[in-house]
Amino acid sequence: MTAPTIIPGAPGGTRTTGGARATLRRNFWRGVGRVLRRKPSRMLGVIILAVFAVMGAFGPLFYPAQLPRDNNALYAAPSLIHPFGTDFEGTDVLALVITGARYVLLTGLITAVIAIVLGTGVGLFAGFRRGRWDSLLMRITDMNLAIPGLPLLLVLSTVWKFTSAFEMGLVLGLLGWGGVARSVRAQTLSLRERGFIEAARGLGLSTKHIIGRELLPSMAPFIAMNMLIAVTGAVYAQVGLFFLGVLPFEANNWGVMLNLAVFGGGALTTTAALPYLLAPLLAILLLTLGIVLVVDAMDEIFNPRLREE
Amino acid sequence: MKRLAVVAVLLALTSATACGGGGGSAADREGLYTTIDALKPGLDANAPINPYNPKGNAFLGYNAQWLGWTKNDLTDSDQFYPGVAESWKIAPHQSSITINLRPNGKWSDGAPITAEDVKFSIGLAYTQGGTAYALDPSAAGTASDIKIVNEHTIKITQSAKNPSNSFVQGVMQTFIVPEHVWAGALPADFWAKLKLAQSTAPGADAARAEITSLADKVIAFAPPKDVSAGPFTLARMNPGEALLVKNKNFYNAANVAPDKVKILNYTGNEQIWNYLISGQLDNAPFTALPADVMERIVQTSGNGVVQGYSPVGNALAFNQSKKPYDNVHVRRALAYLIDRKQVTKVASPEGGVAALTTSGMHQKAAEAWLGARFAALNPYRVDPAQAAKELEAAGMRKIDGKWTMPDGTPWKLTINVPASFSDWVAGAKAVTSQLNDAGIDAQVVTTADYPLYLQEIAAGKYDIGFWLVALGPSPYNIFQRLYGASNGWQLFGGRLKHVAPGKEGNWMGGPETIEVKGVGKVDPGELAVKLNSAPEAEQKKIIGILAEAANQDLPVIQMWDYVNTQFVNTTRFTGFPPNNSDTLRLTSGVWIQLGLIKRKQA
Repeated sequence: MTAPTIIPGAPGGTRTTGGARATLRRNFWRGVGRVLRRKPSRMLGVIILAVFAVMGAFGPLFYPAQLPRDNNALYAAPSLIHPFGTDFEGTDVLALVITGARYVLLTGLITAVIAIVLGTGVGLFAGFRRGRWDSLLMRITDMNLAIPGLPLLLVLSTVWKFTSAFEMGLVLGLLGWGGVARSVRAQTLSLRERGFIEAARGLGLSTKHIIGRELLPSMAPFIAMNMLIAVTGAVYAQVGLFFLGVLPFEANNWGVMLNLAVFGGGALTTTAALPYLLAPLLAILLLTLGIVLVVDAMDEIFNPRLREE
Repeated sequence: MKRLAVVAVLLALTSATACGGGGGSAADREGLYTTIDALKPGLDANAPINPYNPKGNAFLGYNAQWLGWTKNDLTDSDQFYPGVAESWKIAPHQSSITINLRPNGKWSDGAPITAEDVKFSIGLAYTQGGTAYALDPSAAGTASDIKIVNEHTIKITQSAKNPSNSFVQGVMQTFIVPEHVWAGALPADFWAKLKLAQSTAPGADAARAEITSLADKVIAFAPPKDVSAGPFTLARMNPGEALLVKNKNFYNAANVAPDKVKILNYTGNEQIWNYLISGQLDNAPFTALPADVMERIVQTSGNGVVQGYSPVGNALAFNQSKKPYDNVHVRRALAYLIDRKQVTKVASPEGGVAALTTSGMHQKAAEAWLGARFAALNPYRVDPAQAAKELEAAGMRKIDGKWTMPDGTPWKLTINVPASFSDWVAGAKAVTSQLNDAGIDAQVVTTADYPLYLQEIAAGKYDIGFWLVALGPSPYNIFQRLYGASNGWQLFGGRLKHVAPGKEGNWMGGPETIEVKGVGKVDPGELAVKLNSAPEAEQKKIIGILAEAANQDLPVIQMWDYVNTQFVNTTRFTGFPPNNSDTLRLTSGVWIQLGLIKRKQA
């Protein structure tokens, strides 16, 4: 049996006093702590994401602008100095993974923000308004869903170099909001028939208020989980594009590392370049694992039924 | 009981099939030669058996034949091994070539190979254009008259208006196909139209357009069956491999060792590496590969490496219409900063040797043409102090350890390379790392694929890009890479003109004349064109001037010279060409038809 946790800003929570809010907040974080402690793997997920966040924010600061190279240690085997060996130029592979995290994570974050903001906006509005707006927005959503993402990106890459994480994230985000819009619309259609929304309508509250203060907070956990999952999707998509070699060269980009390890170093043929291949793969795997574990924890935090088990 | 017997028979059949599957039994492999075709990555099972079709299932040296096979020579591009032609006689100044066919030569269907077949094949070649078969009457090195002397002799005369040293090579590299199979590919009045097209008479333009319009028809032509003059004919195609069987009517069939040839499909180098590691290939032509993979390949029983001269070099080419690369001091500074040995070690450790200097030529060809003069060229050894002097001479400024433009604005040096060339990508990265160390903000930008790269570089979109140079052995072709159309010199109707940078494919944007120390002002484009028709002694003189011009002016900085590194496996066959053989740039099919390859005796 878990202590009842009230979602901040959830129905009923919007009209509490300042002291009650603070109590609610304290209870919420206690609940979070309890959920994380119950399964150590969830704590591991948080630690992994924290490490990646530090890598993204401060990783490049740990190294000089030009990473050192050792001309006599091309594709060197793993050692204490080079835990994942070196690349074709004799550069430490771990340093490449760490300094390359920023672009990958930033792209993932931008993609997720754009996809979530657009998807949530469209889904909420369509689901709440219904009628013609719903039909129009859902047809646009269908079109978005029908766009073959990878082929389009391959074509776009011939005219657009995607040199910044923002450009890459923008395109991936614009391509990836359709699924979120559909899910949010379905949730909205379900919630709008609930009593507290009926009551808000009966009180004559504005549409803006109902969507912003009543519906959105109820869906915040769902949206947050979708956002984390969108980050993994974005990481796969951009790494895939870099792996295919259609995007600009950055030696520390994880996708470029995979490409050069396979096609330049023969990592799938011999073992010399294998650590160079495995390091970015491991980074992607860990990032995905961290996100999955955190989503698992969020699921329990925000789902009362799971919490009571 | 009956059911049990059926099950037993089925089991026996299954196990027999399993034993015979996979790579094929020893008996199946007996006499089977396995290779890949460097010209055909990605086999297309539905493509026609047509040598003019880029995806066609006509494999050079196997079931597709030229008149002769060019020997790999440092300076002479007019030496050949016999192909469909048994012998040939070249008139002085390449004014004509007389081809003699074998009196008993036969197609694989038993029909005789005649001079009519050669004439018909030349007709097909005219639809595709090319050096010896240009429709423009004033084009350099074009055939003006084709005369059948007798059933097995044909004489091809070069137009006297604008003769070229590449005429003979153009003729010898003509695909020969059987007229009785291909008859429908050319209209009945073709030769009359060709005569009109090669004249200046009224209607010539229309005739030229009509012949050119036949190109697509010829490329799409699909012979109902493979009738070949080569040592093999195509027996079966599937997306994984092409199977060719021995042509019993081939003139040298008695010395063709393999009964069958299997050409395996591949889409990337890694596939070739894996074929080699598993010992499947009897030969693989040049394939870029890292040192560790090379080590692994030679560990396979029977595998060996054969190396030879490859008239191809790799260079960093400048767009001189972009600042600061218009300044020779900047280009020289970069040459002094780049450690070419280190770049080659990173980029092409097994398939290249660092360029000794920039001369426009492969170092072996340069030594052969220039002798001691080659050693006198500036080698541009790594010298950061000299590089700094050159940059200062160009007015560049060093602020906070970073070189900037003369006005103090940032200098971002960008090298473009196609993403699919892993050795170029690694080489470009090595160059930028060295330049960054020296305080030049340098980066690599990749382009999705090679055709797009060529399109963008020609459009002048890049400041600096990797560029193939030294494409010999013809000196004319070698220097066209530096002082040809991509640097503004256009040859139209026998007249040379220099177009402005950024126009008509002039992306290198170099000046029309260059001051060469000890020579004076020269027009390198004009000199390069003269190489096409000059006698050997004059060629030597011109090459000397052009090499000095390239060395001093540096339109490119040569990075590495390619080495023709091939793989052979002596488990099943022997007799492969040795290192530096003049057959090394020819296909296995040619080695086989010349009788070089022998079955290994048990």
